Amino acid sequence: MTFRTKLLFISSFTVAGAVALVTGAVSISTRRAFDTIDRERRQALLVQFRDELAARSLEVARRVELAASSPGVQQIAAGAAEYDRAQTEAATADLDFLDVVEPNLTIISSAHWPARFGYQNDWLIASNDWHTSDVFLARIPTPEGSAMALTAVRPVAGGKMLIAGGRRLSPELLKSLGVAPGMRALLWLPPGEVIDAEGSVRDAQKLAPLVQEVRSTNGEVTGSVQWTSDRRSSEAFLALPIIRAGSLAGVLLAGTSLSTQLGLERSILRTGVVVGASGIVIGVLLGWWTTERITRPVERLAAGARAVAGGDLSARVEVLSRDEIGDLARAFNRMTEQLLEQRERAIQAERVAAWRELARRLAHELKNPLFPLQITIENLQRARESSEFDEVFRESTATLLAELGNLKTIIGRFSDFAKMPAPQFETVDVNEIVRGVMKLNDARFHADNRFKVEPIMELAGTDTRIQADSDQMRRALGNLVLNALDAMPDGGKLMVRTSPHEGGVRLEVSDTGQGLTDEECQRLFTPYYTTKQHGTGLGLAIVQSVVSDHRGTISVSSATGRGTTFTIDLPLTQADSIVVTGEPA
Amino acid sequence: MRRTALRSIAATSAVLVLTAGLEAARRPHYGGELRVEIRAAVPSLDPAVVPDDPAAFGAQRQWMPFVFETLVRLDDHGRAQPWLATSWTHDPARKVWIFQARKNVKLHGGSIWSTPGGAIMVPDDRPIEQILRELAGTRSAVVVKAEDGSLLGTGPFRVARWEAGKSATLAAHDQYWGGRPFLDSISIQMGRSLADQASDFQIGKVDAVEIAARDLRASKQRGTTIASTQPTETVALQFDGGRVPAPVRLALSLSIDRTAILNVLLQKQGEISGALLPRWLTGYSFLFPGERDLAKAKQLVSAPQSLTFGYDRQDAVIRPIAERIAVNANEAGITLRQGTGTADVRLVRLPVTASDASLALQDLTTLLRVASPPSANWYEVEKALINSSGVIPLFHLPRGWMLSSRVKNWPRFEEVWLDAGAAQ
Repeated sequence: MTFRTKLLFISSFTVAGAVALVTGAVSISTRRAFDTIDRERRQALLVQFRDELAARSLEVARRVELAASSPGVQQIAAGAAEYDRAQTEAATADLDFLDVVEPNLTIISSAHWPARFGYQNDWLIASNDWHTSDVFLARIPTPEGSAMALTAVRPVAGGKMLIAGGRRLSPELLKSLGVAPGMRALLWLPPGEVIDAEGSVRDAQKLAPLVQEVRSTNGEVTGSVQWTSDRRSSEAFLALPIIRAGSLAGVLLAGTSLSTQLGLERSILRTGVVVGASGIVIGVLLGWWTTERITRPVERLAAGARAVAGGDLSARVEVLSRDEIGDLARAFNRMTEQLLEQRERAIQAERVAAWRELARRLAHELKNPLFPLQITIENLQRARESSEFDEVFRESTATLLAELGNLKTIIGRFSDFAKMPAPQFETVDVNEIVRGVMKLNDARFHADNRFKVEPIMELAGTDTRIQADSDQMRRALGNLVLNALDAMPDGGKLMVRTSPHEGGVRLEVSDTGQGLTDEECQRLFTPYYTTKQHGTGLGLAIVQSVVSDHRGTISVSSATGRGTTFTIDLPLTQADSIVVTGEPA
Repeated sequence: MRRTALRSIAATSAVLVLTAGLEAARRPHYGGELRVEIRAAVPSLDPAVVPDDPAAFGAQRQWMPFVFETLVRLDDHGRAQPWLATSWTHDPARKVWIFQARKNVKLHGGSIWSTPGGAIMVPDDRPIEQILRELAGTRSAVVVKAEDGSLLGTGPFRVARWEAGKSATLAAHDQYWGGRPFLDSISIQMGRSLADQASDFQIGKVDAVEIAARDLRASKQRGTTIASTQPTETVALQFDGGRVPAPVRLALSLSIDRTAILNVLLQKQGEISGALLPRWLTGYSFLFPGERDLAKAKQLVSAPQSLTFGYDRQDAVIRPIAERIAVNANEAGITLRQGTGTADVRLVRLPVTASDASLALQDLTTLLRVASPPSANWYEVEKALINSSGVIPLFHLPRGWMLSSRVKNWPRFEEVWLDAGAAQ
């Protein structure tokens, strides 16, 4: 991941994180504010309901009292009215339920269920409240089922009869509370009926856990119910138990729709997402612009460094600012200038050293044949007067010619190195070259005057054909073999190994000689550098030159006392080269 | 003395004049329209049309004889009396009965009703009593189809207007062989609930309306003119096919507290019975028990039962009885709930259409759409009819009418006249 990408990520995440934090904080504070307001509203609704229930209780008591004293009920009590007369009296007193019963609770006339005359009044039997409470809650059976009602009982005809009347706890009661928009009051009535201002509530069983909690705690309980799969259908409730005669007669639930709150939270979230997305986009653009400003000089510095690493010490970085990046660019430029100067100096020194070495070599090489020439010429001058002049002359001229031949050979070597010919590429088999060179030097491995050198070939079983100049490759490999032999004056093992390597061929030449020091390794390919007493220092330079002309690489690894290994990696093909086609040798 | 005598003569004359005037007002006289409202919606008076609704069936059978007459009629004792046939004798070979047609009987269209040879031949293949009862039945009424397709009868009234199920006007048949009826016409409003009828009666909109049996006594006590009949209506449970097992049917019947219903809901009007026909008609209705036995009913219902229960909620007679039956049945473990569509059991009112048991059973067979039992024994026939029709009779109720004070000689319409001087 680039520095620019990192910067972009950091800036984008920073913006998005900040927006997320702000959105979350706003959502939480909004929810808390809503919760507080809702709690207060629900509490107010509960108080309002209690007041309304108390007022209605008084009203029921008054109406039942009124009915008890009506002539119609007196007639029923006296047995002078029809069985359904209670219906008329209930309508007159505006009561939903009215039973005239005997003291043993046998129904004489029933307004809400006329057909039950002669039966016992179940709801009075079931409820003990009417003995102790003026107005009480009772579940009254009707032909259509049963209904909860606020009821009261009064004696009729001096206690000879009783009248039990009541008014239904209807949705109208809840409607009369006039709740605020978004709120509603619900009434849970045993065994599981739930009504609101609109009538029976569907899915009332979803309130069962809340009611159960109210039943177990016998106090106020808060909770929420999600009516459908949509979260916006959620409703928060404050539940209040209605206790009559020590048992739960009902539960009032003040509910607040969470749709507004959830809608607002969703709106905040949506806004947060939009702002966050915008922030990310802006952050990316801003980051792009910023990182562009920051990374462009860095990239130039990196490019400059890569150029320097590639050997281009003339690389320079444009200084665009006066900040730390600008200081860095200036320092880089100073560094490359110094490196260039140092390299120039090193080249000069190297050149001087090379010339010195060349001079030393030339002097050394030329000095050896010159001394015999001088002695021979002096012998000729001394022998001019003697009788043996002719023999001396013959021997001296032979010596002169031999030494001159040596000089010519020395000069030829230097001349050959100076004018190394361009390689003529053709398809050659490296394994074959190895076999040829090893065969050519076979006699050297078993020379009588030296310890035996054991040649070992580990040749690749795969195709080792490459495009190369076979003569130059033989010459290079021959030089490495000769070097290895020179490195093992006491005998040893010479291993030549070929193997496929990164789409090309690797050639390794190892010996078991004394090995080289690090310094020797570093200078090994320098022309005219040699570790041998009689070497020209051109052998490995020639090898490096050949490998380089074949676009290959050569490296050496060595450890003192454990031998040396030269490794040559050659490509299969030579781009832009003229290839001599034909069968490999 | 003389002055005193003159005064006495004058006073006596005045009293005589007033008395004569009052007498004249009480004497039957012609004219006027009798306005009647009924609960039933009768589709037609054609004897060939059998209404599904028992109320309509009963009303049709009640009104039909005043338009379409039969050869003979049965009197209150069940004896055949000449009507359109004046006499009947065997032919010499004793193969057929020859009924002599009444002469100069005019159809509603004005033409003379004539028969080939002035007689009607009936094969003598069964007892004459049976033949006479069949001829007295409405299915044997004389109906002549006019050229315009209308049906003509010979009765004291003709159909002047008929709007099926809604209203009708029966006009007096001026050339009726028995003499023109007093009324000019009878206006009938059909499909009126008892409450609507009572309301219309209270405002003087009608002269005669039906009244529930339970209200008969109270209305009479209020001074309203009431006309009631013998129990001529059977309140019964009618099960739909064989969907309800026999033990449950029996349990339902045994769970019903008929006494409480009769005493309280029906105000003791009518009688408890397990028979289709009332006691006054057959005398054997006590053979069909109707007592409550809740313990046995509970035994018969091994598991709670739930049946759909159908009844006319607009019927002020049926509804309270049905509600009470539901309460009673619930005690026996049978839940009766009102349902839509075909109910498992219905509470119905079956009309007793004739004063003769065999004719009444014949009509019930027609109404209940079951095969006529082969036996000639009424008890056996009725028993078979109950078993085959899935009907459990509960009560027999009288029919009652509230009449305005101007209606006289109710209920024989050919003799009914309106007292113009009476307060409406």
